Amino acid sequence: MAIVTLQNVTYKYPLTEAPVLQNVNLQVNEGEFVAVIGPNGAGKSTLCYTLAGFVPHFFKGELTGIVEVAGVETHQSSLNEWVLNVGLAFQNPFNQISGAKYTVFEEIAFGLENIGVPRGEMKPRVEKALALTGISDLADRSPYSLSGGQQQRVALTSILVMEPKVLVLDEPTSQMDPIGTREVFGVIRTMAERGMTVVLAEHKVEWIAAFADRVVALKDGQVLLDGKPGEVLTSPLLEEAGFGISRYTSTARKAKEMGLWKKDQLPVTLEEAVEGFRS
Amino acid sequence: MHERLSFYVHRDSPLHRLNPLTKLTMVFAFILLSFGSPWYWTPHILIVLVILPLSFIGRVQREYLLTAARLIFPAAGFLFLMQSLFQPIGQTVWFRWWVLEVTHEAVAFAFVNAARIIVMVSSFTLLLLTTHPSELMSDLTRRGLPSQFAYVIISTLQIIPQMQAKAQTIIAAQRSRGLDTQSSFVKRVGALVPLVGPLVFGSLVEVEERAIAIEARGFTSSHAKTSLREIPDSRFDQILRGALIVSVLLAFVSRLWLS
Repeated sequence: MAIVTLQNVTYKYPLTEAPVLQNVNLQVNEGEFVAVIGPNGAGKSTLCYTLAGFVPHFFKGELTGIVEVAGVETHQSSLNEWVLNVGLAFQNPFNQISGAKYTVFEEIAFGLENIGVPRGEMKPRVEKALALTGISDLADRSPYSLSGGQQQRVALTSILVMEPKVLVLDEPTSQMDPIGTREVFGVIRTMAERGMTVVLAEHKVEWIAAFADRVVALKDGQVLLDGKPGEVLTSPLLEEAGFGISRYTSTARKAKEMGLWKKDQLPVTLEEAVEGFRS
Repeated sequence: MHERLSFYVHRDSPLHRLNPLTKLTMVFAFILLSFGSPWYWTPHILIVLVILPLSFIGRVQREYLLTAARLIFPAAGFLFLMQSLFQPIGQTVWFRWWVLEVTHEAVAFAFVNAARIIVMVSSFTLLLLTTHPSELMSDLTRRGLPSQFAYVIISTLQIIPQMQAKAQTIIAAQRSRGLDTQSSFVKRVGALVPLVGPLVFGSLVEVEERAIAIEARGFTSSHAKTSLREIPDSRFDQILRGALIVSVLLAFVSRLWLS
């Protein structure tokens, strides 16, 4: 059952000539974890903003085609209704801290206060969300005193607490060290395992290969490839189009040319590479 | 530790437990009384018999007295000196020196004005020392203050220290590339130019992202907002507010009556 449907979506920011998204068709099923990859400027962020309703409601500009989430069309909805269905977290965790709250607990409750959740319901929901992302111990700290990885988890938690149907993440680990990345991916994986629909724009292909159900490759605002991670991430088209690919894939491709890789399927992760070279 | 722009001292005291609006009413009542009361000694009495004891009731006497000694009294003292020396009123000359003439009336006027300033600044200091900014704002929002307005106040308090930290980073970065920030005044003013660009434009980008982030959390939602903090507004609070308003009214009425 498709919860997100994009049909022939073309979008132009105000004051720009060329469209950022061109004829994008995309369906995401309920409970699916879809990763979106693409070089810089391919339209990943714009796609995320479109799913989250900020295109066209916040950025204005020209949107044609159909964007539908949970049976509602974007043009027939307003942003503050839309955000109840689709949660968005993005790159810079620092700018996602509201600045209106003095502790992490209050920061996470901010969204619930805004949509008028009664006080009695608020506390258990915040506590549950904190436990889910493993930051219960940060509840009384100031959000500004945290590390980047911790702040990003706070940003994620403050979206999760609102219980959106679809979670849209725009490179949530881009400015993070390996430890922060592992922390954030851990949270995303938990959410996906609990059946939340996740759309994740990300460069880190090895993580994507390990977690995602499907990968969509964007290039110049168009969908280049759409399929299983193992197929999309090892496609020869990717390297030609200037995508960052896994070092294990490129190593195995070289090895295949030299006759050292016997399998048809190329690896993306270290485990797959080790297994392939062993056989 | 992280620095923030707030005077709030977290303690448990009767003054801390008062409703924020009651404390705000008290501040304005004290100010209006010290200006509007027909009795000359009102501001002085307020300082000694009300504000000073209140700082002990609020258990912030140390912080209050420090602020008073460092800031409030020196400022009020300076005002007193200036007005005593230069206020061209009065006949009862105490002494004359060069062009200066100190009269009894000028000194009396300066003395009451200095006390009024002390009442004004002191009562705000006590309010800020004993009231958490977000408690004040959520209480006022609940009573009809637009939430956007409250957001601007609170987030500014938190974001200014962040911007200061960022300015420091930019200055350090520019200095490591040879920018002179320590020699003559003109050069130092010139050194501000490469700071302003990154700071201002960087902040504008941040504002857009922050707008998206709070919008994603339903900031402009049409639902009535609720609040995580429960802010008590007791019967005592309401009576106190009423009494303060009545006393201000009485002061103004008696002033009109007497004049």
